[in-house]
Amino acid sequence: MGFPSPPTVESIVAAQNADGGWGYVAGGRSWTEPTVYALLTQSACGRDAPSIARGTRWLLSLQREDGGWPPCAGVDESTWVTALVVLLLVTERQEAAASRAVRWLYRQNGRESSFLYRLRMRLLGAEVVPVGGKGWPWYPETAAWVSPTAVSILALERYNRRRPSPELTKRIESGRQYLLSRMCSDGGWNHGASRALGYEAGSYPETTGMALLALRGVEASRLNKSYAAAERHLRACRTAQGIGWLQLGLQAHSRKGVAAGTTSPVCHTLVDACVWLLASSGPVGINVFLG
Amino acid sequence: MCASLSCSHRPEPGREPHVTIMKATGYDQDLFAKVRRILAEHRVQAKGKRVVLKPNLVEFDAAAPINTHPLLVHAAVEAFRALEASEVRIAEGPGHRRGTLDLADAAGYFSTIPKFEDLFIDLNLDEVSKVRLQGRASHLRSLYLPNTVLGCDLVVSMPKLKTHHWVGVTLSMKNFFGTVPGAVYGWPKNILHWAGINECILELHALFPRTFAIVDGIEGMEGNGPIQGTKKFAGVIVAGSDLPAVDATCCRIMGLDPEKITYLREAADRGQTQEAYVRQIGEPIRAAATRFAVLPQFRFLYLSGA
Repeated sequence: MGFPSPPTVESIVAAQNADGGWGYVAGGRSWTEPTVYALLTQSACGRDAPSIARGTRWLLSLQREDGGWPPCAGVDESTWVTALVVLLLVTERQEAAASRAVRWLYRQNGRESSFLYRLRMRLLGAEVVPVGGKGWPWYPETAAWVSPTAVSILALERYNRRRPSPELTKRIESGRQYLLSRMCSDGGWNHGASRALGYEAGSYPETTGMALLALRGVEASRLNKSYAAAERHLRACRTAQGIGWLQLGLQAHSRKGVAAGTTSPVCHTLVDACVWLLASSGPVGINVFLG
Repeated sequence: MCASLSCSHRPEPGREPHVTIMKATGYDQDLFAKVRRILAEHRVQAKGKRVVLKPNLVEFDAAAPINTHPLLVHAAVEAFRALEASEVRIAEGPGHRRGTLDLADAAGYFSTIPKFEDLFIDLNLDEVSKVRLQGRASHLRSLYLPNTVLGCDLVVSMPKLKTHHWVGVTLSMKNFFGTVPGAVYGWPKNILHWAGINECILELHALFPRTFAIVDGIEGMEGNGPIQGTKKFAGVIVAGSDLPAVDATCCRIMGLDPEKITYLREAADRGQTQEAYVRQIGEPIRAAATRFAVLPQFRFLYLSGA
């Protein structure tokens, strides 16, 4: 069910389905997210050209009319996975598909940031979390959260580096403001609810790493507490995605955290294995997000 | 569905829902016999059936009373195997954390349940099918749901007895939020919040007609549940096939009025939230009742005299 520990690129290639995609677990039906991670990992850690060509073909066949991607075939909605696909399309130089996807992504906002919603909440006397920029939702017409916002920032930034536009720059900055506004009191990030009903919530390893990765370029003095939180999480974390994202996040700020264990953690899913491999491949792994 | 507090529905005589309240002083080997006894008392037919046990897994914390205790789940696995179920699976899709198996490991499932990984399905990553909603309680017309729960013969909801900071309590009905796949809707499954938590609890309840509930009320959570609350020893397992009746009984044990919990009131189409209409098996409510602390905004939920 799982992947070898430590995972290898060969084990990722071997898990490719006949249709060209990858499942979350070996032998599972193809989904967009693990397929993108498998292809990004190959970009960073050693390419298998026929595998990449088949995987990219499968992905391109899934693009929807609106420019976005569904999480898998059979789901009739474009979701956050579109941001992940953009990261890959920039790498693979699929310009036309990428620009349609970017247009879709640019239009997505957390529903809680709309003027009408905020007005309604105020009139109802409900607690309204201050908007510190606009993030991205997992699923259209829902609130913004940390993980999809971090991935969307990385995707748009990568695209913007190739084809700069003031609108994208502004949107990326707004996303970063959203992330900074959702920082937990311990300096890290959880799924995006740092405070609910007046109670502080603690951060998670994986989302702390993702947020730090997306906040590369933000003034270090604003993130000192976050670096400490990430290093603290890294010393205690035992999960592949937690360790992987923390390392990627710290590396993006030229910091090297030390994980507690000497052995690599169990990779239960393909995404676990890919994030671990991307983090282990050092600057090359970082480049699939920031290059 | 009942539209108001003054629900006049009642079960047909002789068809009242049965709910077991069984005392359990701790998480020990006695649980195996207790769960078998519960299933026998309710004459649960599992022979040849595909059974999915749905615990509540939320956070990486084995010490806090957040997750359904693995020993109770193990006891349920063995009890359904003893009833000759053709397949017994454990399945869950946590709402905030993506590493479901890592979470299960931290919660003690790997060390407690033999071959746990072979039994377990991560509902967040399972294959899905589009399902038209039946209840019309929310504006949602359909949901993508995991094939594992859609294709089984019996879903056993195994929640923890906890307060909930949005809807008052989280029990066997709310536990079905974990069936909504994160790979489609994200972490959290925020579509359910925008469509209304109470409404979506009702929608999901209507989707799964073949259910049984075994509530882990040995150590529950009071205060700011379902994650940040504090441990509350209640020393009970509450079980039955009518989920609104089970949850209403749990509320009374917690000192809360189930008719003031919106989704329970609405779900009680046969008056199951009313104590007089539920056939209690085992301990009476008063013998198990222990007042749970609630957040200030939920003090109105207390039963008079609780």
